[in-house]
Amino acid sequence: MEAARRTLAVVGWQARSFRRLWRGSITVSLLNPIFFLVSIGVLLGSLIDRSSPDLGGLSYLQFVAPALLATTAMQTAASVTTFPVRAGLKWLRTYHAAVATPIRVSELVAGILTWCGVRVMVAVTIFAVIAAIGGAFVSPLAVLAPFAALLCGLAFGSVLAAITSSVEGDEWLAAIFRFGLVPLFLFSGTFFPIQQLPAVLEALAWATPLWHGVALCRSLATDDLDPLLTAVHVTYLVVLTAVGTMLTVRAQREKLRR
Amino acid sequence: MAEPPLIEAHDLTKRYDDFVAVDGIDFAVARGETFGFLGPNGAGKSSTMRMIGAVSPTSGGTLRVLGRDPERDGPAIRERLGVVPQEDNLDLELDVGENLLVYGRFFGLPRDEIRRRSDELLEFVQLADRSDARVDSLSGGMKRRLTIARALINEPELMLLDEPTTGLDPQARHALWDRLYRLKQRGVTLVLTTHYMDEAEQLCDRLVIMDRAKIVAEGSPRELIERFVEREVVELRTGTDGDAPSLDGIGGHVEVLQDRIVIGTDDGDGLVDRVHALGLHPETVLVRRATLEDVFLRLTGRSLID
Repeated sequence: MEAARRTLAVVGWQARSFRRLWRGSITVSLLNPIFFLVSIGVLLGSLIDRSSPDLGGLSYLQFVAPALLATTAMQTAASVTTFPVRAGLKWLRTYHAAVATPIRVSELVAGILTWCGVRVMVAVTIFAVIAAIGGAFVSPLAVLAPFAALLCGLAFGSVLAAITSSVEGDEWLAAIFRFGLVPLFLFSGTFFPIQQLPAVLEALAWATPLWHGVALCRSLATDDLDPLLTAVHVTYLVVLTAVGTMLTVRAQREKLRR
Repeated sequence: MAEPPLIEAHDLTKRYDDFVAVDGIDFAVARGETFGFLGPNGAGKSSTMRMIGAVSPTSGGTLRVLGRDPERDGPAIRERLGVVPQEDNLDLELDVGENLLVYGRFFGLPRDEIRRRSDELLEFVQLADRSDARVDSLSGGMKRRLTIARALINEPELMLLDEPTTGLDPQARHALWDRLYRLKQRGVTLVLTTHYMDEAEQLCDRLVIMDRAKIVAEGSPRELIERFVEREVVELRTGTDGDAPSLDGIGGHVEVLQDRIVIGTDDGDGLVDRVHALGLHPETVLVRRATLEDVFLRLTGRSLID
């Protein structure tokens, strides 16, 4: 099919652009999990009372590792769909070059988000392997956790691409990280159960994609799977991905096909 | 039966909100022709090019490119176009050869074929020794030539060049013209926009002059000059003496600009004698052949480059 062929051409382009950066990126993907799991999971975790009912009998490392898998997905997705997308649309205008060829805007966006998925999958797989070696996962279902994290990454990637493609000023990009991703990282049940939050914030956490990603990864890695909740998490992330993708296509059409 | 035109536009219009960028223009471009849109910045040239390139929806009128409707058949049209945009948009993260490879893939070409064509194209644009160079390291003229090579990767029937030499130094411009001239000789149809009258004169078989979203004249460079202006032009720089009115009737059309007076004539030297006979002593006197610049000035009362 032509559309699929052209989408793949975009993925191939992104992969080729990445060839100059992959060494640095792989290093980050290897070191990040080690740093986080050791400093927070093991060292900070040693100060945390394992008998706390909120931990449900898990060590703190076992509690926090699946969540860090989801945040890794979020961060990797953000690195693919914020600044590089901005560069393609505005700074280098390479997206303008792409849509002057048979490539359609929808195919361009599909290619970019597919590439985002590839990058996320690589990062979370590396993370999961390291975490598994470190004994951070208790359930064999943890094998599925990288796929849950991928879903979380795609939800973020599509939404962030939509925002990056819509806003005008460049200062917005830094704001996305400061006022968007950092608070999510800290308050989405990553480091503590969201039940500890005041009721209002707990409700807010339910609305954030990261919490659904965290909860999904954690339920898989700790063998605490509730069918209904799982369906809610998956549906939420899939719908968000679809909406984000549609909005990205719409915003980029506005910019590329004026 | 004559071949239908490669591009045909009737009453073509482009609006952005309340702003009318292209206001009901008509033109046709035949296969093998080099066709130009000449006009100042903001005349609507680029908007027209983007509509032809099937990347910008029309707001009114009809447009056929390669016999198809850009609205419906965008990918099929773009498959057969080569586009050189106004602003370079090469991928700076890739080297020269990779830029061609990636672009060729967008057209669905097999890698081997792209490599073969890349070698030829880099030879053609005189960048053969730069295949592995980073795009960053290229000069402005080289980047422009690479953009042209990239636009040729799909062996297009129709090349769209939006201000191909803007921002280049004279030497780089001439090198580029030379390449475009060769493409023209090979039978590639070229459509270009420019606000340089010498570029239009050098390259275009036929052109339209655009001003404020409309076409104000159409013809070959020679025809336009013959139709609208006298053969020669005398330019007088007068300093401050404001003698302009007394020059009426001394030659052909008199245009008083801020810094000079431009008089059309069929006999430049004779006119200079008459100016001197009037007792006028301009700071400088220049007699030259009339150009498209003078045509533009005559039609709009303004010069092309502000």
